[in-house]
Amino acid sequence: MTALLEINDLGTGYGDVKVLHGVSIALEKGKVTAVLGANGAGKTTLFRTIAGLLPCMSGRVRFQGEDIGVLASHKRVEKGVVLVPEGRLVFPDLTVAENLRLGAINVRARAHSDDTLKTVMALFPRLEERKSQYAGTLSGGEQQMLALGRGLMAMPRVLLLDEPTLGLAPGIAKQIFSTIPELLDFGLSILIAEQDVRSTLKIADYGYVLENGLVGITGDGESLVRSPLVAQAFLGH
Amino acid sequence: MDLLLSPQLLFSALVLGSLYALIGVGLNFVYGTIRLLNIAHGDLVMIGAYAAFGLFTALGLSPMFGLPLIAGITAMIGAGLYFGLFKRQLENTTSVEQLEANSLLLFFGVSVILQNTMALLFTTSPRAYQHLDYVISIGGLDMTLSRLLALVVSLTIVFAISMFLKFSIYGLGISAIIQNRDAAKIVGIDVGRVQLGSFILGFGVAGIAGALVSLTEQISPFMGFPFTIAAFVVIILGGLGNISGGIIAGILLGFIEIYSVALTSATYRSILIYGVFVAAIMLRPQGLFGKAQT
Ligand SMILES: Nc1ncnc2c1ncn2[C@@H]1O[C@H](COP(=O)(O)OP(=O)(O)OP(=O)(O)O)[C@@H](O)[C@H]1O
Ligand SMILES: [Mg+2]
Repeated sequence: MTALLEINDLGTGYGDVKVLHGVSIALEKGKVTAVLGANGAGKTTLFRTIAGLLPCMSGRVRFQGEDIGVLASHKRVEKGVVLVPEGRLVFPDLTVAENLRLGAINVRARAHSDDTLKTVMALFPRLEERKSQYAGTLSGGEQQMLALGRGLMAMPRVLLLDEPTLGLAPGIAKQIFSTIPELLDFGLSILIAEQDVRSTLKIADYGYVLENGLVGITGDGESLVRSPLVAQAFLGH
Repeated sequence: MDLLLSPQLLFSALVLGSLYALIGVGLNFVYGTIRLLNIAHGDLVMIGAYAAFGLFTALGLSPMFGLPLIAGITAMIGAGLYFGLFKRQLENTTSVEQLEANSLLLFFGVSVILQNTMALLFTTSPRAYQHLDYVISIGGLDMTLSRLLALVVSLTIVFAISMFLKFSIYGLGISAIIQNRDAAKIVGIDVGRVQLGSFILGFGVAGIAGALVSLTEQISPFMGFPFTIAAFVVIILGGLGNISGGIIAGILLGFIEIYSVALTSATYRSILIYGVFVAAIMLRPQGLFGKAQT
């Protein structure tokens, strides 16, 4: 079975500083795949490269068999590869409603934006209540919901979630985590990077551990939780 | 005091102010949104003015009907400059400061070329033409039809543009790019296309403004620079990328200029605009209405 999203021997970095040295990852349709790794391991770099914000210097990014590593960011969104970035990056001086409207700017999503909007509002009722509020004035948790909602408005086939609970209170983080499996019901597949390894491995079907720009251990969620190396590195025992 | 209350002066200030507003809106597309220091903006106004003059004297075509064609000419120059000079710059330069510095030099060259080409083609002597100069009197106010049209057309266009930017997805896309370029890319905005659109709109509007200016005053190949300065004053007062702020600032500048010249003498006109420019930068670099851009 070929993977929906296939990263092959990917290398990239910032100018002369190489950060990823040949990362290979496969994402199956309808599954949650986790990318784990210490701070600075290169998770965000990987996600930004898949989204086209950083150049793919070597290796390939294939989506449904097609090489998308050379496409501009907006073309990847058009195909259905959508990033919900670390730090959320909502548009602070636009309202919640305007942020969501922009989420559906790609041609494929725009035609269905009214329906998608209803779904997103049902998933995050808080956004409905605050739809005319400026995004910059939302709380951290609300901004994360908005970033997720904006991502969903693009009708993704693959959603790249980079640290969706970063900096959030435990209660809200838990709430965000509980919506992730629900997202699969929309027929999409998820690649997630998270600090909260325990919660992530609970919802992940498969995981990769990045170390110094290379894939270290891989395995299904269960086996990674039980792996002594993962336990030692991330779970604090 | 009588002078200051004269409806004639008020009308002149409104006409000039609305033209400044229009010219400012045009520059806002290129400087306010993509941060290219287009110091050739006034020269595009000049090109628009000559296009209007040429169409009228050669073909007898009224600038009022020629506006789409004139806008098309300057818009094409904009598109040409985008593809020829700025597309790569915009794709490869990440720091705003560097982009501003590079674009300043490039546009300086464009300005020199446009001015000298026009001087070669049409000589440096000022030109003017008589068109729509019937006088309409309302109360004590005498208005030439051409000036009244300049006022109405420029206000209509700035208003239409501000509505378009406020409510269209294109306008939202522009705001998104200003606020966070990476975020704009990952929501699926084709940043290059929006920038090309901004060039076309900004330059097209400059052409229209030039045609309207040619209805109200003499034109010459070197008429552009004061308009460039005025446009920057408008943008700085109104706030970068803030279209409605720019409209108010344009009208304000028109009033400042007309009334101060009336109180002093026309020789101070340029000094005055520079004065406002310097004052604006020193006192409110973030604009009267705009908030500071981060
Ligand atoms: N803009 C940049 N310029 C230069 N180096 C960078 C840049 N961004 C990140 N790096 C470096 O790349 C490496 C990987 O960073 P990255 O943000 O991908 O890590 P991460 O796994 O996402 O970490 P975290 O868990 O803290 O989010 C780090 O060493 C970092 O210092
Ligand atoms: Mg990161």
